[in-house]
Amino acid sequence: MSQVMSINGAIAERAEGDRSGLGRMVVIALALLLVVTMAISMTTGASGASASTIIGGWFGLVPESEVQAVRDYAVIYNIRLPRMILGVLIGAALAVSGLLMQGLFRNPLADPGLVGVSAGAGLGAVGIIVLGTTMLAPLTAFLGIYALQIASFIGGLITTFILYRVATRSGQTAIATMLLAGIALGALAGAVTGVLVYVANDAQLRDLTFWGMGSLSGANWTKIMASGPIIVVALAVSAFLGKGLNALTLGEATAGHLGIPVQRFKRVVIVAVAAATGASVAVSGGIGFVGIVVPHLLRLVIGPDHRYLLPASALLGASFLLMADAVSRLIVAPAELPIGIVTAAVGGPFFLWILLRKRAALAW
Amino acid sequence: MIHVDNIAVEIGQRRILDGVSFTARSGQVTAIIGPNGSGKSTLMKALCRDYAFSGSISINGRDVASMDLGTAATLRAVLPQSSTLPFPFTVREVVALGLTAGRPGVSLAALRRLPDEALARVDLSGFGGRFYGELSGGEQQRVQLARVICQVWEPVLDGVPRFLFLDEPVSSLDIKHQLMIMDVARQFAAAGGGVIAILHDLNLASMYADQIVAIRNGAVAGAGTPAEVLTDGLIAEVFDCPMRVGAVPTGNIPFVLPQSAQRFVAAAPQSKVA
Repeated sequence: MSQVMSINGAIAERAEGDRSGLGRMVVIALALLLVVTMAISMTTGASGASASTIIGGWFGLVPESEVQAVRDYAVIYNIRLPRMILGVLIGAALAVSGLLMQGLFRNPLADPGLVGVSAGAGLGAVGIIVLGTTMLAPLTAFLGIYALQIASFIGGLITTFILYRVATRSGQTAIATMLLAGIALGALAGAVTGVLVYVANDAQLRDLTFWGMGSLSGANWTKIMASGPIIVVALAVSAFLGKGLNALTLGEATAGHLGIPVQRFKRVVIVAVAAATGASVAVSGGIGFVGIVVPHLLRLVIGPDHRYLLPASALLGASFLLMADAVSRLIVAPAELPIGIVTAAVGGPFFLWILLRKRAALAW
Repeated sequence: MIHVDNIAVEIGQRRILDGVSFTARSGQVTAIIGPNGSGKSTLMKALCRDYAFSGSISINGRDVASMDLGTAATLRAVLPQSSTLPFPFTVREVVALGLTAGRPGVSLAALRRLPDEALARVDLSGFGGRFYGELSGGEQQRVQLARVICQVWEPVLDGVPRFLFLDEPVSSLDIKHQLMIMDVARQFAAAGGGVIAILHDLNLASMYADQIVAIRNGAVAGAGTPAEVLTDGLIAEVFDCPMRVGAVPTGNIPFVLPQSAQRFVAAAPQSKVA
């Protein structure tokens, strides 16, 4: 037992091996970090517009010409603000869906991007872009601005479900089977996507190219309206999954003995993963590795308790993507790099580092 | 009280259990013995409702098959044979997982200390901050037991007895800790709870159990007090192996000595075991 002073001055006992206090502190720290990264995101970009100037202008603190103010207003409200909000939503969605998959498969290497779920979601999106005006026209007319999101969600859902059925037998997931099944599913989705791209016309090809780059650059309020609610609901649901995911780490049978309705619980997790992945892929294409890097780093710091990992991953995922986006805008300004390149440049080496560290333990 | 009435379990085409009935009372330790493949673990899985079964099982008069998982978690806790964890939990975090959904039956203030008290009971005080994956198999087994006793910390809650299901709880333990774990089970029963434990060591069963249920080929071959079940004829038949039962002079507890067919057949008539 070590004794620590709590805020009200009383001496609280903290048991050895209890990292819940640390978990709470890290969540608070990450919330503060997100405020900072959001501010950085708002003030970074090719244009000289600055959020502080705008706000200062409101209160008459910063003298500005009217023309300048109007231009800055447009930059901030029509470009940077939606981009920042989309970055927060997608960063959180990617990190949390990675964490949920790792908990579901009881495996720290699971990630929607690695095991074909993103490819499946991408196939759904490409299907709408290419066939949305012909074969699937009634569907797109019915779903309106949500067509892309819902098609991605369904693509991701089907892929996750197949993956789970193939890789898991009586509650145990074989790592090798999961990764190989993921490669197969990814390749299959890629092949069908290839066929769709092949039959696409010139206008659709242009849309596909912009979509596929993995970028937040096309962020606008319509995209936020379409993907935001889905992501917010998926994140809100996952906030309640911490206890169950903790119990699931003991195996499905034991989780059941602890009172978790395992089959229903797993279905909720799969739907949340597919919704979060689908809604992000639909608006930003493939942004890889956030779901691996963020939960893994946090596990090193606060341990594997999902009650703290879930909010911490959402917060750090959002900050991580905002920073990657800032880098992608600044590094080749005034042009910009697709953000997927930045996350892969950080995530690829990080993933190799995990493999090196775990080589002995994984043994496959 | 746990009442098992004429249950049968089929896996694929094979009938693993057939017509098993027995009663495990609160305040008692019930040991289940039997050779490998006799159906002991299947019986445990049926008790936990991991396997579908025909017939009926009730806990305190409530039907297990129709009970929701949350209620079941408040009435009994289950120690599996082994548990591996994919993530780096500390020992204390693993024990605290026992508080997921059960009702320990203690105040909120006491709840925070519960994992540490449970660790003390299994002789692992000071292990709370260690990583579970770095412990030996025997230590991991004791951590899991600490987790399980957290789930049903008070053996009787609101006047209702609760149960521990232990699947080979001492299989990877040294002799001192075998006795210690069985003492934990004994205390739980003495305080009004019930224990059902699969045991391979017949002498441990004799020493700690109030009732022994012997399973052979998926059916009950004998049930009763250790003195009733541990007889030369019955256990030789159950285990298909010659054995000699004696009695410890103090307390008249039976003990079992396996008789190697090769080595002791000639010496057996003189009852000399050198």
